Amino acid sequence: MRINSLALQHAIFYALAIMIGAGAVVFASAYLLSPLVFLIGSVAIFFIAAVGIAGAIRAGWRMRASAAQAAAIADERAELKGRLSTIVALANNENRGSLWSYLVEDTFGRQDEFAPAKIERRRVSRGIYPLAGALMLAALAYPISKIKRAPQIIPGGGQDDLTVDLDDLHLRPADPGDESGMPVTADAATMRRLEDKLARQSATGGDAAGNSLNQLVNRARDMAGDLQNKLTGQQAASPHRLNLRLADAGGDQDRNEIHRAPDQQKNKRGEVAGQFKQDQPKSNRELDLPPEDDSRQPNSQPSPGGNGEVGIESNAGKDNPNQDDSATDKSIQQSGENSSNGGEAHGIGADPDSLFGAPAPSKLGNEGFEIAIEARPVDHGPKGAGHAYVPPKVRTPLSLEQEPDEPVARTAVPADDRTTIKRVFER
Amino acid sequence: MSDVQAETPTVADFARTFRRIQAEIHKMIIGHEQAVEELLSALFAGGHVLIEGVPGTGKTTLVKTLGLALNLSFNRIQFTVDLMPADITGTRVILSGEDGRREFTFQPGPAFCHILLGDEINRATPKTQSALLEAMAELQVTVSGTTYRLKPPYFVMATLNPIEMEGTYPLPEAQLDRFLFKVRLNYPDEGELTRIISSTTGPDDAGIQPIFHADEAPGQVEGLKKLVREVMAAPAMEIYAARLVRATQPQNSRFVTDEAKAVHDEMVNRYVMFGSSPRGAQALILGAKVRALLDGRANIAREDIEQVAVSALAHRIMLNYAALSDGIDAAHIVERVIKSVRAAKV
Repeated sequence: MRINSLALQHAIFYALAIMIGAGAVVFASAYLLSPLVFLIGSVAIFFIAAVGIAGAIRAGWRMRASAAQAAAIADERAELKGRLSTIVALANNENRGSLWSYLVEDTFGRQDEFAPAKIERRRVSRGIYPLAGALMLAALAYPISKIKRAPQIIPGGGQDDLTVDLDDLHLRPADPGDESGMPVTADAATMRRLEDKLARQSATGGDAAGNSLNQLVNRARDMAGDLQNKLTGQQAASPHRLNLRLADAGGDQDRNEIHRAPDQQKNKRGEVAGQFKQDQPKSNRELDLPPEDDSRQPNSQPSPGGNGEVGIESNAGKDNPNQDDSATDKSIQQSGENSSNGGEAHGIGADPDSLFGAPAPSKLGNEGFEIAIEARPVDHGPKGAGHAYVPPKVRTPLSLEQEPDEPVARTAVPADDRTTIKRVFER
Repeated sequence: MSDVQAETPTVADFARTFRRIQAEIHKMIIGHEQAVEELLSALFAGGHVLIEGVPGTGKTTLVKTLGLALNLSFNRIQFTVDLMPADITGTRVILSGEDGRREFTFQPGPAFCHILLGDEINRATPKTQSALLEAMAELQVTVSGTTYRLKPPYFVMATLNPIEMEGTYPLPEAQLDRFLFKVRLNYPDEGELTRIISSTTGPDDAGIQPIFHADEAPGQVEGLKKLVREVMAAPAMEIYAARLVRATQPQNSRFVTDEAKAVHDEMVNRYVMFGSSPRGAQALILGAKVRALLDGRANIAREDIEQVAVSALAHRIMLNYAALSDGIDAAHIVERVIKSVRAAKV
């Protein structure tokens, strides 16, 4: 009885210990790990815990003892030399022989030696120790959650207007039934451009395998983020209705809005009908620009391949009205694939429309009606709260003479060569 | 004398009688405690014993002393090359009656006794050796078509001289298998030798006192043998004995079936040609029962089986030439088998 009780306790305690320990690890990792790592780790822990629980139950099942096995254990521990085992084994045998009574009396006379308390002193299984350890681990996970809980930032919270650069938007159709998006309103021209960009991405979006893989990774990241939110108690951003404006569609004022409020932009960049990108934290610094007054100082020097190129381009546009006009001519045709030919090293400064100065105000205006589109904030998870949206990489073939990792230093360009240079960058 | 036990001996009677016989034998035999115990165990288990020892170690004296202590009839046969079967079993001779008529009359041989010592049994021809087979196994001899019953208890002790092997006939496996135990008598140590010298070269006789009355002795011994059979063996112990026996059989033997359940030891596979027969398992259980009674128990334990395993199994294992060249003996194999089976958590 006691042995079977210990076997049952063994199975229960170990199973509970594994479950609690695994839960504590998953809970702590929800605070400590990025969504993808958290997802992979959680799946691994789940399988390990499942195997461990099955093993604990199996071990408990094996520890249980029938009457014969219990008698054998008692024989061994009390050194009864098989007396109890023989009695149990032959109790129902009719041909037990003349020495049966002697065996029973002999064994009964030794009953003090095989009292349950002597055979098995423990009343509680040793499995209580791992259970206690798991509880301690769970207790430790709570302070970790308190320490690591990042301030929750709901992008777009309290903000009705969101101005982003079209190039910074990664577009993909909303998943069917996905209601987590954020309704976004925009003027007709903006929506038209968004649709055009979406169409272009669909047509020239690269190989299908890569896209499907990206979609899978994005979905996995979404799922992990949702799970992290549930575990950490942080709410995903509620669908706010955003009034979307494109930075290049509203002229200098709109474009400069990005420059004036870089801190806000960190949390406001979004992905239309999808989610924000957050896998390039380097762009945080890219958008971490000085205030408007500082960025417009004429002595601001370009930093090839470095950060803060957006502000520098604005200064160049101010200094040279001709260049500004050239940029204005191209601003309507601005497209996402043109913007980041140079990758991160070039940044926005590589935009052919702003090569020689700030782009002119867009000719497109607000048509006065709104279309709701789905979008949701980029940084809705606990880990990603401090990350800003990073413009996606666009695969554009480079010129044969261009060095991909060494951006061309900005110098004074002769007027005759500007058209050629712009063609090169437009590729 | 004769006050040892009542009609139906008890466990305590058995142990007490056994120890008294032991004590009487050790008046004459110095040392060889284990050999004497195994000898008596085989007697009460209803088996026969093969004694292996160099000359002068007290083999004959041991058997004679046992006969005196039990007060049973005792015969000795010195096996030689020219010994004939009829010299063991007896023969029909022509005798003249009181009326002068001559007729064939069966003249019993030395096999007709309670305790028979076959000295240096390996010196007789196989034909003569096999004359003992029927007597040992079936307690009967057949002469000229007539079967004669032997009176129980019947206990055969055969000695083997391990030296001077030229001109000897090693016992066939079938005959070896009929001996319950094989007991080895080694040279006595210095202390034992000193005691032997002082006790055998002095004027005093050892003075062996019979434990039983001559007319009651056969019945008393049979009663004790019956008690041994009453000792209970749990199924787990029978399985343990069976697994020990199966573990002595090499894995690659063509006579071995159902290999999956057997415990295999690498040494057995390498050195054993043939393992123990089922008689080995019977010997294990019977020997264990005697051990249990001596311990005051009515059931056998695993320890009892392991204590008699070497005596019961070693002579039933046929080793190959690799074992001979590597100096491996059967006792070592049995000890390895015990460890293997015990480790297998039977």
